Formats: sequence, structure tokens, C-alpha cells
Amino acid sequence: MTRLFCAALVVCLFGSATPALAHAPIMGIGGVFGGVIHAMLVPEHGLTLLALGLVLGRQKQDARRSGMLIFAALLTCGLVAAALIGEETVAADLLLVATGALGLLIAAAWTPPRLVLGLAALAGLMFALDSKPDGTSAVESTRMLIGSGLGAALALAAVAEGAVYLRGHALLIAARVAGSWIAAIGIMVLSLRIVTRMTIG
Amino acid sequence: MRLRTNALGLLAIAVPLVLAAVTTPALAHSENGVAIDFWGGFTHPIFGPDHVIAMVAVGLWGAFLGAPAIWTLPVVFPLVMAVGGALGVAGLPLPGVETGIAVSAIMLGGMVAFAAKPPLWIAAVLVGAFAIFHGHAHGAELPVGADAVAFSMGFVVATGTLHLGGITFGGLSHWPAGSIAVRVAGGVISLLGFAYLGKIL
Repeated sequence: MTRLFCAALVVCLFGSATPALAHAPIMGIGGVFGGVIHAMLVPEHGLTLLALGLVLGRQKQDARRSGMLIFAALLTCGLVAAALIGEETVAADLLLVATGALGLLIAAAWTPPRLVLGLAALAGLMFALDSKPDGTSAVESTRMLIGSGLGAALALAAVAEGAVYLRGHALLIAARVAGSWIAAIGIMVLSLRIVTRMTIG
Repeated sequence: MRLRTNALGLLAIAVPLVLAAVTTPALAHSENGVAIDFWGGFTHPIFGPDHVIAMVAVGLWGAFLGAPAIWTLPVVFPLVMAVGGALGVAGLPLPGVETGIAVSAIMLGGMVAFAAKPPLWIAAVLVGAFAIFHGHAHGAELPVGADAVAFSMGFVVATGTLHLGGITFGGLSHWPAGSIAVRVAGGVISLLGFAYLGKIL
């Protein structure tokens, strides 16, 4: 019960997100803590962590922890790459693809372990590549990327371990409805971005 | 004890989804004055009464059909609606959108009014087919140029909330008098659909 409370609290906190702050340092908050906040306050990042956490929560303990480890490993690789790459990537779009696919898996209540591991890897890598803050010094950027990695890994662990307790019939239905919402949001935002890019450039 | 755990688990899913969106400030407006934030997305379907009655009818019919339709229909609708929305965003023409929306209210309301209980797959296909029209209408009006994560979250959450309203009211169908009330509501929705089809409203 206490663990469920803690999981719900953590999910609520990272869910209390303010949009349109992606890639911009939050006023007055920088460094590692700023990165942690950044990882949790960008809506699409929060959606990704929620979706992946819900899927991993449906896995057996070994598979769940493997998924978290793969996410963390690819997240680390991606953060190193993000620190070195200065140009824009399609990471945000691919992150939405991964999030939408995870939402579909939740809605279908079909979570094959290998596919989940693949999506966890994709989500980890793209999450990191999409976390590079704009307009900051290299040192500050590195600090924030470290914070983003820590925040993402901790939030994912909290959601995934909390989702283990979603066992009742009503909770599983609620999770499937949430999954359909996440997938729908992913499809709509991705289509809007693609059209915007084609229209505006 | 189990009931309380279920309730907490439900909160663990619902609260972050709502909070993630509710805390969004109004940061931008589209050229036509539509707020590109959570509330802009949330109010978008709600300010279209023809959409509202159809969404409520989906919930009513799901509740009337009972499990698993009570959750299958609200899962199918946003997923297919998002595909329709993507078509609308992309500017792909879909003939008879407004007619399709009016017919959706007529058909879905009529299903409830006449207590129709087709197989689940037929109900899902019917609801999905109508969801294309609703999604297309919304997608065509989405403000291009915005990073619409919060907007889409509001949009999807509003749709789900309307379904939930229908399901809640449809729950009355467990009692004889309530069943009559639900069927009457379905009839009213169907009549309103005819009014929209005939451009009376």
C-alpha cells in the first residue's frame, strides 16, 4: 500500500508538467537538478515514461528489470551522444513513435517481452537525444543532461514498480484506456508535426 | 482492502494524466484565436454539441452492452479518432464529414434507444467508422505550427471524459427504470442527430 502511495505520488509529481519548456533551461533552475526537473516536466517525456512504466509493470520481474536496464543503458549512450552532437535530430519524432507504440501495446494488453525491450531501447536513446538543452554552455549542458538521465531513470523505476500493483480488473481496464489515450496523443502530435514541417519547413 | 487498492491504482493512472495536462499555462494562440494549450484542446470537442452527443452515445451504448464493450468502445474510439485526426491534419479530403457526424449521433443514439445488442466486433467497427469522421473534423481545425502535445492531451482527455459521462449515466441501465431513462436519452440523441442532419440546429 505504501509503495503504491509512493509510486502514485512520484507519478503525480512528474505528471504535474508544464509544456513548451522543452530544450529550454527553466528560469532560475539549472545544473543537475534543472536536468532532473527537465526530464519530468516535458509532457511528451512524461508520457513516454508513463507508457513505458505501465508496459514494464506488466512484465515479470526479470523482464521488467531488464527493460529498465536497457532503457538506462541506451539513455546513457544517448546522453553522451547528445553532449557531442550539436545539431537537431529526429529524436522527438522517434520518441513519439515509441510512445505511441507503447500506448498501443497497453491498449491491446499485449506486451511481448522482446518487442518491449526493443521499444525500451528506442525510448531510452531518443529520450536522451531529445533532452539536450538549448542555449547553454557546454558545462551547464552536461550537468543538465546528467540530471535528465537521473530523473528519467528514477521516474521510470517508480512508475514501473508502481504499475506492478495494477492487478485488479478495473485497474487493468483503466490502464488499457490510458494506453489508448497515450497512443492517440502520439498519433495526433506526430501527424501535426510532420504536416507543420512540410508546410512551414 | 482490495477495493481501496484498486481505487488508489486508478488514481495512480488518472491523476498524472490529468495533472500533466491541467497545469499547462496558456502560452500561445493560433491564428484563429484557438488556445494551443490543454484547455484549448479540452474545450475543442466540448464546444461542438454534435460531437458531444455522439461521444456520450458511445459511452451510453458501451454501458448498455456491458463488459467487454463498456471499455472496448472507449478504447477503440480515441485510437481511430486519432487516425482520422491525422488525415484531417494532413489535409486529405473526406467526403460528408458533417453528415457522418450527424449520422453517428442518429445511429449510436438509435442503438441505445432500440436496445440493440450486436456482436462486439460489429459495435467496435461501427464506433470506429464514426470516429474517423469526428477525428477528421477536429484534425482539420487543429492549429498547424504549434507543438500540440498539451493541446492533444486536452483533446483526448475531453473525449474520454465525455465517454465516461455516457458510461456513468448508462450505468443506470442495471435498473428497470434506469434502463428506460438510458433508452430515452439514446432516443433524444438520435433525434438531435436528425436535427443536425437537417441543419435545424
